[in-house]
Amino acid sequence: MKLWMLFIPELYCLLMGVVFFGLAMVARPNPRRDYFVALLLASIGVVVALASVKLEGSLFFEAYRVDLFSQVFKVMLAMGFFLVVCLCTELNGIEERHHPEFYLFLTTCTLAMMMLVSSVELLTIYVALELSSYSLYILVPLRRGYGIDVEAGIKYLMVGATSSAVMLFGLSFLFGVTHTTYVVDIIHVLPNVIGTPAAILGLLLTLCGFFFKLAVFPFHFWAPDVYQGAANQVTAYIASASKVAAVAIIIRMVSLVGGNSQYLVDVLVTLSIASMTLGNLVAIVQKDMKRLLAYSSISHAGYVLIGILSMSPTGYASAIFYALAYLVMNLCCFLVVVKVAQDGSDLKIAQLAGLHRRSPILAMALMLAVFGLAGIPPTIGFTGKFLVFTAAMEKGYITLVIIAMINATISLYYYIMVVKAAYLLEPDVAQPQLAVSVPTKVLTASLVAVMVVFGVFPTYLLEVARAAARMLL
Amino acid sequence: MTSSFFHNPTLLAAAVAALLPFFTFALIMVFTRPYPRLSAVLSIGAVSVSLICAIFLLGSHWHLEEPIQYTGKWMISGDIHIPFGFLLDQLSLLMLTIVAVISFLVQVYSLGYMAGDPGFARYYAFQSLFAWAMMTMSIAPNMLQFYIFWELVGLASYLLIGFYYEKFSASEAGKKAFVMTRFGDIAFFLGLLVVLLHFGNLNIQDMNSVDVTARMSPALITLSAILIFGGVVGKSAQFPLLTWLPDAMEGPTPVSALLHSATMVAAGVYMFGRIFPFFSNSAVAMTTFLTIGTITMLLASTMAMVTRDIKQVWAYSTISQLGFMVMGLAAGSYFAGIFHLTTHAGFKALLFLCSGVFIHEYETNDFFEIGKYGGRGLKVPIICMTLAAAALSGLPPLSGFFSKEAIMGALAEQHNPVWLWAGLLGAFLTAYYSFRLIFSILFPKKVEAVHQAEHGGHGHGHEAGHHHAGIYWVMAWPLIILATITLVLGFFHTPLENFLVGHHGGGEAHGGHHAWLLYVAVGLALSGVGLAWLEFGRKGAPQVGFVEKVEPISALFANRWYIDRFYRLFLDYFIYGTVSSLFTRNDRRVIDGGIDGMCRATVGTGWALSFLQSGMLQYNLMVMFAVLALVALYFFF
Repeated sequence: MKLWMLFIPELYCLLMGVVFFGLAMVARPNPRRDYFVALLLASIGVVVALASVKLEGSLFFEAYRVDLFSQVFKVMLAMGFFLVVCLCTELNGIEERHHPEFYLFLTTCTLAMMMLVSSVELLTIYVALELSSYSLYILVPLRRGYGIDVEAGIKYLMVGATSSAVMLFGLSFLFGVTHTTYVVDIIHVLPNVIGTPAAILGLLLTLCGFFFKLAVFPFHFWAPDVYQGAANQVTAYIASASKVAAVAIIIRMVSLVGGNSQYLVDVLVTLSIASMTLGNLVAIVQKDMKRLLAYSSISHAGYVLIGILSMSPTGYASAIFYALAYLVMNLCCFLVVVKVAQDGSDLKIAQLAGLHRRSPILAMALMLAVFGLAGIPPTIGFTGKFLVFTAAMEKGYITLVIIAMINATISLYYYIMVVKAAYLLEPDVAQPQLAVSVPTKVLTASLVAVMVVFGVFPTYLLEVARAAARMLL
Repeated sequence: MTSSFFHNPTLLAAAVAALLPFFTFALIMVFTRPYPRLSAVLSIGAVSVSLICAIFLLGSHWHLEEPIQYTGKWMISGDIHIPFGFLLDQLSLLMLTIVAVISFLVQVYSLGYMAGDPGFARYYAFQSLFAWAMMTMSIAPNMLQFYIFWELVGLASYLLIGFYYEKFSASEAGKKAFVMTRFGDIAFFLGLLVVLLHFGNLNIQDMNSVDVTARMSPALITLSAILIFGGVVGKSAQFPLLTWLPDAMEGPTPVSALLHSATMVAAGVYMFGRIFPFFSNSAVAMTTFLTIGTITMLLASTMAMVTRDIKQVWAYSTISQLGFMVMGLAAGSYFAGIFHLTTHAGFKALLFLCSGVFIHEYETNDFFEIGKYGGRGLKVPIICMTLAAAALSGLPPLSGFFSKEAIMGALAEQHNPVWLWAGLLGAFLTAYYSFRLIFSILFPKKVEAVHQAEHGGHGHGHEAGHHHAGIYWVMAWPLIILATITLVLGFFHTPLENFLVGHHGGGEAHGGHHAWLLYVAVGLALSGVGLAWLEFGRKGAPQVGFVEKVEPISALFANRWYIDRFYRLFLDYFIYGTVSSLFTRNDRRVIDGGIDGMCRATVGTGWALSFLQSGMLQYNLMVMFAVLALVALYFFF
């Protein structure tokens, strides 16, 4: 086997990027053509990622490792990319002549995240992270005609740049303590020196860069504005794929500690609780669906951290499972958002009124996805929360779990408000039926099926997540 | 067990008899509600099969030596399991047959009585529900299963009393019945818990064995027996929970016949019989029951003397006869109580079904009115009703005579003569009020123009009249069958006694020891009838009873001895005024207020935090760094 074959998913993304770059050169815009090209390439991308899931090896002077952990996340990223592309049938939020650019930056962002989950060298990690961030910095203000897009873009850039700076500061600490940038070597050195303030501060500041991606408190400030300001499809991508990559890299970084730092656990517990509580409380008062989902994503970042801070194989496995569950549920929510707000505008929760009449299948999908996010059985979201909480209980963090439970209860309030809007409220003015195409129906049905089937029979996915988590140690 | 299921006809028959009505109930409620005829056919079909099974079981186990018990375990959790199954012994077989027979007849009768009612299908669904619950209760092998189906029977009763739920008084009566019986059931359940805790088992056969005395102290047995008897007080409308039964007459008359006279209210007495040996362990408890039964019997008899409502009279007489059965059982005669239950089921159902024909024809409950409209013109019902009233009064050679004599005999065995005299007084009053009603219909003061519906063909066209006659005969046949039963059942005294208590039972009191008692009882019953004749029957009779002449006593009786008034005051001042208002305040202020406050605080925090969000970018970044600084500080210290 040739070494370059390990790099196939990334190479394929690069190829996609070249194609879209070529399309961007064509003078006459043609959204249908762009869409179908993207759909075709993205679906092949999923196949490529699935085909390369068993690969193992390392590249680029050991700076890049391909193993089950990274490949599972690459599959998730390829899936997320594909599903977001599926939502682009009516890409009304972005000017037609910018569609190839939109796909191009989505592709580069996916490429960067794939590299991020495979990187095992600090500088590579940083470069990959920045590449993905820069793609998003451009995607966010790409929206047409709404005033807040620029504000959102600038806010995103500022918070992102600050986090990057903090992260670089942390990386320098890490290098100073361990005298290496290779994660493999850091794993050997760091657990011995983790008691020193410099080492732990370095690790924590490094994590800041990823916390920014995941929108963990206090790096969450961009999330509501960016979610609302970006085009719906871009938001869907930020809310799903980029979160998954962030979870992956945080797991990798935290596992460096070897599981014996009470300080780090304390800090992570604090951040987790703050994220959950803040996200859930503020979500209650939101009127805009995307803002609500932004705050919900902040609280979910808190839940994922619970799995990660358990610092045990079950904890990592539960976090991986949770990331996947979150990807599916969130994309399902955004599917409904995109389809209901077909003109590409922001969706108010009140606009969902009467959805069950306008499109029963979308209403059902929304209800299941939202129940999943709230953690109601038998959805995949319940299983995810259950696993995460179990991992924390094994470590004896009962207070944390109780706080998380209370938070889950609070979150029910606003999730059920969404369901209430979709099912119980009637619109003031009668709204026409929503035209939902057959492929969309198939897509919705399969997302729902995934949410329910893997909620009831999670064993297979859980085995994959466990196998992936074993690669870290 | 399943392999033997189809090879064992006994088990199969018991299962089919008990379960089939339930499936009918589900079927009607889910599928066939829009089709009244189909629903009725389903329900009657199911109850016919149950009837055949019950008769088969009774016939094939007539010479039963040992009770047959089948139980399957219904696991609940851990080491607690509740067996479900059947206990077939003489008593349960007899009760199963009674329930099946009366259910079947009433359901056939209802074809006529309920014809054209908008809730026809619903009515049959509830009838099936009742049949299922009552039959499964009859053959329950342990008290827990018994209790569950006891409550289900109560539910069916609630649904059927409130059948005309759009009528305020009907839904109120349903509620009253449910709440008052539940009140007794609380005591019943507590009693069961006492037994479960101290005896460790609720199996009926174990409770009836001598083990109980070995494992429970006499005080505990007395306590649990009295508590369990609370269920009897509620269900069989004994003092002081007797006032729900007259109100329950709001339900359709066939329902009153089936539930509130023949079977359901007798369930209390049946339960007494079911664990009779257990109750017998406590002499104190038995005396208490005897007192309650006597008070009930006398109170209800007095109430029956002044009412003008035909169904109310029979309702009060039901209460008093139930009191009579309790007296018989509490006096120690198992057979007398159960025998009276059996005969009573027959003639009381007959009385109600006959009344139903009159009510259906003349659309009034007042028996003076019925007499005035020419009620005696309806030959079959008036003959049957007279027959049944005679049975109720204990006149020979009808079934009631034999069973009443048995109870009198048991009462005469008691050392204290008070019980016997009370019983005899009751017998006199019963004869008086029964024939007060009969004579009022038979010999009204003045017959008005014949009601148009009496003989089809007067005002209506020929077809309508014919149709009406068809309905009349659907209702008449069950009457004739029941009347036959009333006539002949008394002669099965000895076989039934042999069946129930066995040849070697021996110690039962027979009327033979007290030959004088026979004459005294019959004489008293006859003088009751005579008094009624003097006041209501003879030509130019005043049609005003001796009680009605004394205003205060009449008012006392008519107001049910102010028992309801007392409950009303108790409810208003104590429950609603004190307890419930305190709880309401606690609910509103503390619980609701607390939860509202919590919610408001949560939402408020959300608002407050969202302002933090909307701030300037500089502040956002400042918060970020502040948090990082705090974290760094934490590491260094």
